[in-house]
Amino acid sequence: MSDFLQAAQVTETKQALDRLRGSMQTFIKGKDEVIEQVLVCLVAGGHLLIEDLPGVGKTTLAYALARSMDCTFSRIQFTSDLLPGDVTGVAIYDETEKEFVFKQGPVFASVVLADEINRATPKTQSALLEVMDRARVTVDGVAHAVGAPFMVFATQNPVDYEGTFPLPESQMDRFLMRLQMGYPQPADELEILRIARTSYDAIAVNPVVTRAEVLGFQALAAQVFVEDSVLDYILRIVTATRTEAEFKTGVSVRGGLALRTAAQARALLHGRDFVLPDDVTELVMPILAHRLVLVRQTSDALEERRAIMSALKRILAALPPPA
Amino acid sequence: MPMERKRPQLNLDELHQLKWLLGGVLVLLSVWTVFYLEFDAWTLMGLTTVAVSATLVRPDWPARVPAWTHRLVFPAVVAFFIGDLWVTGEVLPAVVRLDILLLLYRGVSYRQKRDDLQVIVLGLFLIVVAGVLTVSLVFAAQILVFTACALGFLLVITLVESAEKGAGKKVANGTPSWAMHTRWRRLWVRVREVTDWRVVALGAALFAGVVVVSALLFLAIPRFQLENSLFLERFVSKKARSGFNETIKFGDVTDIQQDTSVAASVDVTDRTQIPANPYWRMLVLDEYRDGTFRLSPTLRRAAFTPERTETALRGALRPVLGEPVYWTFYLESGISRYLPLLGSFEQLRFRETQNFRFGEELGLVALREEPATMTAYRVEGLSTGGTLPDAAFAKSLKEHKKSTPKSDTLLMLRLGVGAADRALLEQRVKEITGGAELTTGEFARRVDVWLGRHPYSLSPRIPDGPGDPLVRWMSSEEGGHCELFAGSFVLLARAAGFPARVVTGFKGGTWNAYSGNFTLRNSDAHAWCEIFDRATGAWLRADPTLGAGGTQPHGAKGEATLARRTDRSWSARFDSLRVFWYRRIVNFDQRSQVETLKAMKEATENSGRQLRALLTAAVERIKAWLAGPWDVRRVAKLLALAAGLAGAGWAWRNFRLGIFGAGTRRRGAKDDPVRREAGVWLRRIADFGYRTPDTLAVMEELQRLRFGAPATWPEPEAVFRRARQAVRELRRRAGARK
Repeated sequence: MSDFLQAAQVTETKQALDRLRGSMQTFIKGKDEVIEQVLVCLVAGGHLLIEDLPGVGKTTLAYALARSMDCTFSRIQFTSDLLPGDVTGVAIYDETEKEFVFKQGPVFASVVLADEINRATPKTQSALLEVMDRARVTVDGVAHAVGAPFMVFATQNPVDYEGTFPLPESQMDRFLMRLQMGYPQPADELEILRIARTSYDAIAVNPVVTRAEVLGFQALAAQVFVEDSVLDYILRIVTATRTEAEFKTGVSVRGGLALRTAAQARALLHGRDFVLPDDVTELVMPILAHRLVLVRQTSDALEERRAIMSALKRILAALPPPA
Repeated sequence: MPMERKRPQLNLDELHQLKWLLGGVLVLLSVWTVFYLEFDAWTLMGLTTVAVSATLVRPDWPARVPAWTHRLVFPAVVAFFIGDLWVTGEVLPAVVRLDILLLLYRGVSYRQKRDDLQVIVLGLFLIVVAGVLTVSLVFAAQILVFTACALGFLLVITLVESAEKGAGKKVANGTPSWAMHTRWRRLWVRVREVTDWRVVALGAALFAGVVVVSALLFLAIPRFQLENSLFLERFVSKKARSGFNETIKFGDVTDIQQDTSVAASVDVTDRTQIPANPYWRMLVLDEYRDGTFRLSPTLRRAAFTPERTETALRGALRPVLGEPVYWTFYLESGISRYLPLLGSFEQLRFRETQNFRFGEELGLVALREEPATMTAYRVEGLSTGGTLPDAAFAKSLKEHKKSTPKSDTLLMLRLGVGAADRALLEQRVKEITGGAELTTGEFARRVDVWLGRHPYSLSPRIPDGPGDPLVRWMSSEEGGHCELFAGSFVLLARAAGFPARVVTGFKGGTWNAYSGNFTLRNSDAHAWCEIFDRATGAWLRADPTLGAGGTQPHGAKGEATLARRTDRSWSARFDSLRVFWYRRIVNFDQRSQVETLKAMKEATENSGRQLRALLTAAVERIKAWLAGPWDVRRVAKLLALAAGLAGAGWAWRNFRLGIFGAGTRRRGAKDDPVRREAGVWLRRIADFGYRTPDTLAVMEELQRLRFGAPATWPEPEAVFRRARQAVRELRRRAGARK
């Protein structure tokens, strides 16, 4: 790493991200941890999978983020009859121009909320996942970039599995993180109840950072220094998941890279230009859990999630962070 | 759950630098063999040493050589080699010089993997040539170092290969990046960092083990009869030579002379005992019949003992006072079943039990059959004079004279020719002696002179005509070889009434300056005569062959006479190897070897015993100490010891002091002393679980030192000072809170 970060740059970034955090906190009450992870995901340039029940604020979260950073937002409700073209857009024939013109689909936005992604057919799912991977749409052999930043919030209902197409492991791997919203604390919920508005569209947010700034954060995060022993720590964690008896498969190389990138983003979020072992430890659950599959699979997603979490906790306890 | 950890690794440039270093060392190691390889390659060696050392110091220099020189190198080297071969005419030195030249080129140009392997092979060639030609201890040391170096070199080549992922970069043009910034000291530090000393120790132990086992095997191997185990040798029969059989046709010995291979090698404990002109007797031929000399069955029966199966036999001579001179003969297979000897001896000892017959009066030993392998025997007190006393023959001659004077029933007097030839021979004798009664010596001298009108020729022509071919040749002036001379001499002597016989064997030989032994070649095969001197009752040697040195006995001995025979040729070098090997495997008694092994065994046992005694004594002392009365001082001592141990453990834990420092100095943070110390302080502060704003600031700096990029570090010493203060403060507060 030849070019090191300037201390001033790091401080500025931290201030900008704190503004963003504050802006989101005004709308999402009592979910500071989730907001932090969303910001990590944003700075790391990844995509989010939120698994939770309907009505806990997933959409509000995505909308608040998009609005806070002066970005476009779109929402796609996935259903079993949704077609890939409904997501990516289609080329239609223009009578006046006498040629096909590409009509952009809802995926052409900076923040895309893909609601109940597991309701769509695999074909449609894979169309979305390809956009996530390459940040562009290819229709009729012509590639259309979706623009940057580009972040997908996909949601899944963990309880109601009736008539769904669960995402395969290879596609789960493409999400940087999986989060749970959970119910708010009573005090926070009281606060929510007190506010008169009901729909997220009613949220009036002034953008606190610009789109260009967000891109700057992402570039900066890649330069955050990771010391050898921390890399070694990441490697040990990843390797341990591969040898753990409870897991059918371990974490992929992409998973390890994701952990490193996210740790860099978290360090930046905390105003550091180097990664601490704590950054890694804090992110192990959201980054690795959804990439793991148990040997004895259970029918209940919540129970499975708990089992994976406890196994990961065991691994973390057995691996001392570098000191 | 395996705790896999990443160890720091050398980057590609560093690997390249290491490879360059090892390759240069290999080149130097191998060209330095010239020091003891008596070749004229000093200039090349010096040039290579200087050039390669220079490129080791400055690896970027080879890039300054213009590119076109690389294209010229191959034709230049070929031209050099051909010219060298042309001028000197010797192959091996030319090949060695070629090898050094190639090493020089490889040493001063950037190498790809193929070239690296070439360096190893070229170096190995030089080392092996040096080793084979010198068999010195230096060679053993050199090949050990070379092997270790070459193994390391191969390892680095493999590492480079895998690091480059097989995509070999072109290095022919321009300076490679690794050569631009080579700092050997830094490389040394890095190599130490990345080396896993346990692996190195294991490798070294394995290497040492192999060396020790090889040495033990080398010590122990002669205990087994190698040639008996290697049955293969028995199938490799050499071309049978008919020269040293009981019957000899004219030309047989001469045939043998065409062959320059080694017939026998002789070691002498006292070089001064070697005669200036040695005649190695193998066989006595007494009967002449139909133009052929042969060992008569009568003599074979009468003069040889019945067959014996022993390892030693006592000769005709009695031991004399003083240190005996040992003559050790290594007789090659396919020569003869008769052993070459100089004359009578005191004792002869075979290496292993042999079936043989001994002709004491003849001074001959005959094995039952021609040996299939090299036969070694050692002779004590070998008589080197030209005379062979034969009391038995003198007695039989006397008796024979009494009964039938002037008859030739005695084989060594029998002419075996027709009446006409006999008359002719007697006439020749009259010509020689002038009718006078001569002494044996004088007669021999005159016959020698008389036969001197024949020139020496290896392809003689015997005139056609009736009668005995030998008599015909004698009367002519044709050239002849040793057998014709010797045969004529014997016939003339017998015609004059002197008992005489033909002796075959080797004459002369060369002194091998490298191994210090006498070498008899088949080309040294010779035939000469022995004429019986009635006055002394002994056989006198007579060699009528021209240029053979006359008939007088040769008393001259000593090292000075060896100088004339000294052989320093290339074949001598190779022969010397054979002798070294023979000396190594042939032991007439295995005493020294057994003693060596016994000494080793005793040393091992003794050290084991001493160790046990030491342990027992220590245990006894501890027991006695425990049983002794306890008082305050002893308890205090014990406590002090425990405290010391605990302190040492604490110091080791915190500062990694002590003898294991080298072994634990590895991995991640432990590489860097600043990161290590920052980690220690961080842990110490974290242990308090209580922070003040000051401590948080210090922790931030410590974290930067521990995990941050080195370029962004604050001054470490200042941070550690603040950390020390912070810990002191925390400790004070913790005390206050209690």
